[in-house]
Amino acid sequence: MEEQKVSDLVKELVLRLLSSNQPDAEHSTSLVDPPKALKYAMRILSSRMAPSISVDEAAMAESIKRHLVNEGKSSDALTFADLYTKFSSKSGPACIKNKWAVLYLLKVISEDRRKEKKSDSRVSSGFFASTVSGGLPVLFDDDSNNCRVSRNQKTLDKGWNGGVLLVSKDPENIRDIAFREFGNLLKEEIEVSEGVLVRDVLYACQGIDGKHVKFDKNVDGYVLPDFIKVPRATGIMVRKLCELGWLFRKVKGYISESMDRFPAEDVGTVGQAFCAALQDELSEYYKLLAVLEAQSMNPIPLVSETASSGNYLSLRRLSVWFAEPMVKMRLMAVLVDSCKVLRGGAMAGAIHVHAQHGDPLVHEFMRRLLRRVCSPLFEMVRSWVLEGELDDIFAEFFVLGQPVKAESLWREGYRLHTAMLPSFISQSLAQRILRTGKSINFLRVCCEDQGWADAATEAADAVGTTTRRGGLGYGETDALESLVVEAAKRIDKRLMDVMFKRYKFKEHCLAIKRYLLLGQGDFVQYLMDIVRPELSEPANTISSFKLAGLLESAIRSSNAQYDDPDILDRLRVKMMPHGTGDRGWDVFSLEYDARVPLNTVFTESVMARYLIIFNFLWKLRRVEHALIGAWKMMKPNSITSHFFTKLEGAVKLQLVTTLRRCQVLWDEMNHFLTNLQYYIMFEVLEVSWSNFLDEMEVAKDLDDLLAAQEKYLHSIVEKSLLGERSQTLCKTLFALFDLILRFRSHADRLYEGIHELRARTTESSMPSRDRIKSRLKSNDEPSGFGSWVGGGRKALTQRAGEFLRIMGQDLNTIANEYSSLLEGFIAQLPVQQHVDLKFLLFRLDFTEFYSRLHPSV
Amino acid sequence: MDPEAARTARDSLDLAFHMSNILDTGLDRHTLSILIALCDMGLNPETLAALVKELRRDPSSSQPTPTIQSEIVDFTVMDLPMLS
Repeated sequence: MEEQKVSDLVKELVLRLLSSNQPDAEHSTSLVDPPKALKYAMRILSSRMAPSISVDEAAMAESIKRHLVNEGKSSDALTFADLYTKFSSKSGPACIKNKWAVLYLLKVISEDRRKEKKSDSRVSSGFFASTVSGGLPVLFDDDSNNCRVSRNQKTLDKGWNGGVLLVSKDPENIRDIAFREFGNLLKEEIEVSEGVLVRDVLYACQGIDGKHVKFDKNVDGYVLPDFIKVPRATGIMVRKLCELGWLFRKVKGYISESMDRFPAEDVGTVGQAFCAALQDELSEYYKLLAVLEAQSMNPIPLVSETASSGNYLSLRRLSVWFAEPMVKMRLMAVLVDSCKVLRGGAMAGAIHVHAQHGDPLVHEFMRRLLRRVCSPLFEMVRSWVLEGELDDIFAEFFVLGQPVKAESLWREGYRLHTAMLPSFISQSLAQRILRTGKSINFLRVCCEDQGWADAATEAADAVGTTTRRGGLGYGETDALESLVVEAAKRIDKRLMDVMFKRYKFKEHCLAIKRYLLLGQGDFVQYLMDIVRPELSEPANTISSFKLAGLLESAIRSSNAQYDDPDILDRLRVKMMPHGTGDRGWDVFSLEYDARVPLNTVFTESVMARYLIIFNFLWKLRRVEHALIGAWKMMKPNSITSHFFTKLEGAVKLQLVTTLRRCQVLWDEMNHFLTNLQYYIMFEVLEVSWSNFLDEMEVAKDLDDLLAAQEKYLHSIVEKSLLGERSQTLCKTLFALFDLILRFRSHADRLYEGIHELRARTTESSMPSRDRIKSRLKSNDEPSGFGSWVGGGRKALTQRAGEFLRIMGQDLNTIANEYSSLLEGFIAQLPVQQHVDLKFLLFRLDFTEFYSRLHPSV
Repeated sequence: MDPEAARTARDSLDLAFHMSNILDTGLDRHTLSILIALCDMGLNPETLAALVKELRRDPSSSQPTPTIQSEIVDFTVMDLPMLS
């Protein structure tokens, strides 16, 4: 039923169409045959049963509207829209159900008509019988003469452009024209395609010249030569990407240069580690480049089949991929620049400075790099601190060693080389490292002690690392510090133990104090007693063997004999180099032989200072000894009193005054000397010694001991007026000493004179025994008396008077000199810086005798 | 047909005719109504349009001549079975 309807309708349609085709009825018979046409129609209808596009009414309407707009008939489009709204809103029993079909039908028919109209003008050429199916634009050849063109076809737009006819649907399709022109422009401009450029850039980034992009030495960069025409944007982008190539070249250049120098042993271990780390980074970079190259040839797969894409890798994509490698490469180039001339620890320090960066990428990168670069350094530190080994062929470590004798190993054997100190190791840490290694070497060489290895292992265990290689790395400066601290602590303790227990450091110090600093009073006294006559001789007649023998006997007769024989062994006599006219007193000194390892502490200079102090103290003792000797003479004795009674009035008075003057002077000098001696022995020596002992207790390492000894000596020297600041005072003091010695000789002379006189007077009345005795005594008489015999009592008195007068004068001079010197001495004392000298002043002047006597004091 | 339906049908046809005029299809009202009827019956509008196009062509071009090479309009008349 339906089908009948359909066929009827079709028949009717056909008839109508045919009749509409032929307005002229007369021609109808010669033309199309209706049954034929009907058959044809049926054939067509059965050819395609289903439409080729999807059913979408609204889309269809939209499409029609757009078409109308594109053709410029916008008012028609509006009308159509209006109509369509009304049309689609129609619903009901008799409405058109398949509205979409109707619209589509109308659209296709109108399109076909349009095409037909276009082709109508060419129909008579017979060339184009039909339009090609679809909607492709028709291409015309430019042989317009053959075509009977109807020029009033407004809808046809002719464009002639370089042999290509551009046909557009309507005159106002400006956008399309513009696109096509642009495409042509591009094709003209670009000689080189982007793919080639990308490949060139990839080559440039490996340091190889590409087909177009080459390295230009003048500009010092990778450039695209000018004769190649590329759009400016592309050129700029190529330049930017080639910066990566430039950086790469720099880094690679440095690496190959360094590697060339390897055999020459010019590059240190740190430099080698740096090169290795850089090469690792570069291999990562190569991997990236390889991946990119592989990708560069592949096109991107796209969803739509009709669109075509270029290669995957465009310059822009490349710039995105290169962002991160660019940062890294730039970093490496900066490092290479800053490390060109550095080596060892300095290089590590310079790189470390660059690692202070906030960006996590940079930070991570630098950390990796530094870990490798610093590993030789840390290794060196570890071996130095735990084994005392300095394994440094290229002089990269910050501890420098030089071969020296055993005794100066501590002070000069090793020192810090600050240029090689990396900035992440602080000065104090470096000092500790130095000291620890030094201690180990000291123990090994000087003390011949092997127990330090245990201490080292202990230290390592305490910290948690091992004594083997590779325990520490960069970034673990804390761990390093704690290792060093632990090792230092233990090694120092060990060193102190060895010094004190095995080498009896304290005992030696005490021995020096007792002998060199005259602490052992009885020994000194005895020594002085027996050595005195020897030393009065001129220096070149004294034999040191004799003196050594005297020293031995002095030791044996005092408490010193109970001392450790090892210590006594080291004590010996030393004769200093003397010139002519020197007396023995000037050249005599004692010395103490300190052997390895103690001579690290008691070096030459230290011993020299001890010597100076010894000389001073010895002189002081000598003067004291002399004065005491004078007292022995001045004691009230029978000889003097006898003489006294024998004399007559005036001379008696003279005698008394002279004697009194002598006594008084002696007393003054004694007072001075006693107080000075007391001051020196107790306030200076003992106090310094106890301070030194305290410091020895708390000393943690050898440096502390050395410092303590320095302080000890310094304070002694300063306080006993031997220092530089007290030069004038010292001179005054020595002048005083000389004066006292002169006094002693005068006093001697005085008393001997008295004895002589006495002997003369009693010569006649004394038994021969006494005479001989007195004659013996008078053998020591200095000249001035000669031997006179006889004369009688008057002569005696006169003689005595004269003698006493001379003596009195001498004593007067001495006394005056003495008081002036003493005044000067005391005047200068308060000016001194040292607070202890005030005590000396106090003691000397406790009754303010001198200050009252001389108000200026 | 009730008047309502008739009116609807008439209106629809008017609208369609108007639209077809805008689109410049050259169809008259009667032909359009037949076409609409055929569409409504489910025929493929593409084929109908092709049919219209073919039948509308100039009579001289619809006859096969030796000079004309046309891939599409190359038919041999066959006895199509009648659809009824």
